[in-house]
Amino acid sequence: MIDWAICAVKQAEPHETVSGGQSTLMSENWVLKEEEAVELLALLITSARIQMEEPAHYGPLRLLTATERLSAMIVERASEKSRAFLQENVDRIPDMHMAMSDGEAYIAALDERCRAVAACLLRHSCPPEEE
Amino acid sequence: MMSEAVLNNIKTRRVVRAMTDEPVAREQIEAILEAARWAPSGGNLRPNRYIVIQDAATRRLIRLVSPGMFQQAPVLILICTNWDVVAEHNVPPTDRALLIDIGTAAQTMLLAAQALGLASGPVTSYSKEAVKIILNLPASYSPEMFICIGHKAEIVQTGMRAWKKISWRDLTHWERFK
Repeated sequence: MIDWAICAVKQAEPHETVSGGQSTLMSENWVLKEEEAVELLALLITSARIQMEEPAHYGPLRLLTATERLSAMIVERASEKSRAFLQENVDRIPDMHMAMSDGEAYIAALDERCRAVAACLLRHSCPPEEE
Repeated sequence: MMSEAVLNNIKTRRVVRAMTDEPVAREQIEAILEAARWAPSGGNLRPNRYIVIQDAATRRLIRLVSPGMFQQAPVLILICTNWDVVAEHNVPPTDRALLIDIGTAAQTMLLAAQALGLASGPVTSYSKEAVKIILNLPASYSPEMFICIGHKAEIVQTGMRAWKKISWRDLTHWERFK
């Protein structure tokens, strides 16, 4: 179990992030090009619009499409920790067929990915214990 | 027999979501458009117009505003409704024949592509407003459906599959309901 209080003390040069929190030990290297960011923005904003006229379950699936594309964009430039997460998890994102044919399996698969992303965040947030 | 060839064409056509960048010959594109011209149209009004997009930069922009377009097809054919034609014939904009026309044109193009040995797939998940801007469509044109045309990529395709095996018998009722 990670002690978040200790983690917070160990953060290096904290600054404000988009989420309103403090930066962690995650690499500050740029992993996304402007062109890629705009592509992702286009996918998200157009998905938000067309979702109003599409089946409800398409909403999460568009988010998963965005997840896959974001992963493909950043995987080569990501830190080793993040790259390992991306390589291990993105291929396992459940598809639309699973969502429609086996809702429980779809939810279980997404829960597994959520646990994996939480573990990835923890790895970034807490420096390795000093020997 | 010709009838068997037609039926086989219908049965073997699939929606293809992964295509190569191999170009499609101009004659093949024109053959698909010629087939669409013969699709049935309510009142024979023919309110549909077709826009062929081959330019790589334009196709890329279209894909960026089309969350449902997984294909990187070398040819996009956009089926539009020309509302000037609709108004000219005093057809109410809510007339379902207008939607049916889009469907008959689309299916005819998909089958024509299949007959030519090409892969195809329809796409309706895109931002109409964004497509209008990218293609500089006239105000009287509304973008209704993309038909992606190309050559099938030899990779495992993901996406929609049949939820359960069905036959025509599952879809059909004979005569009156009791």
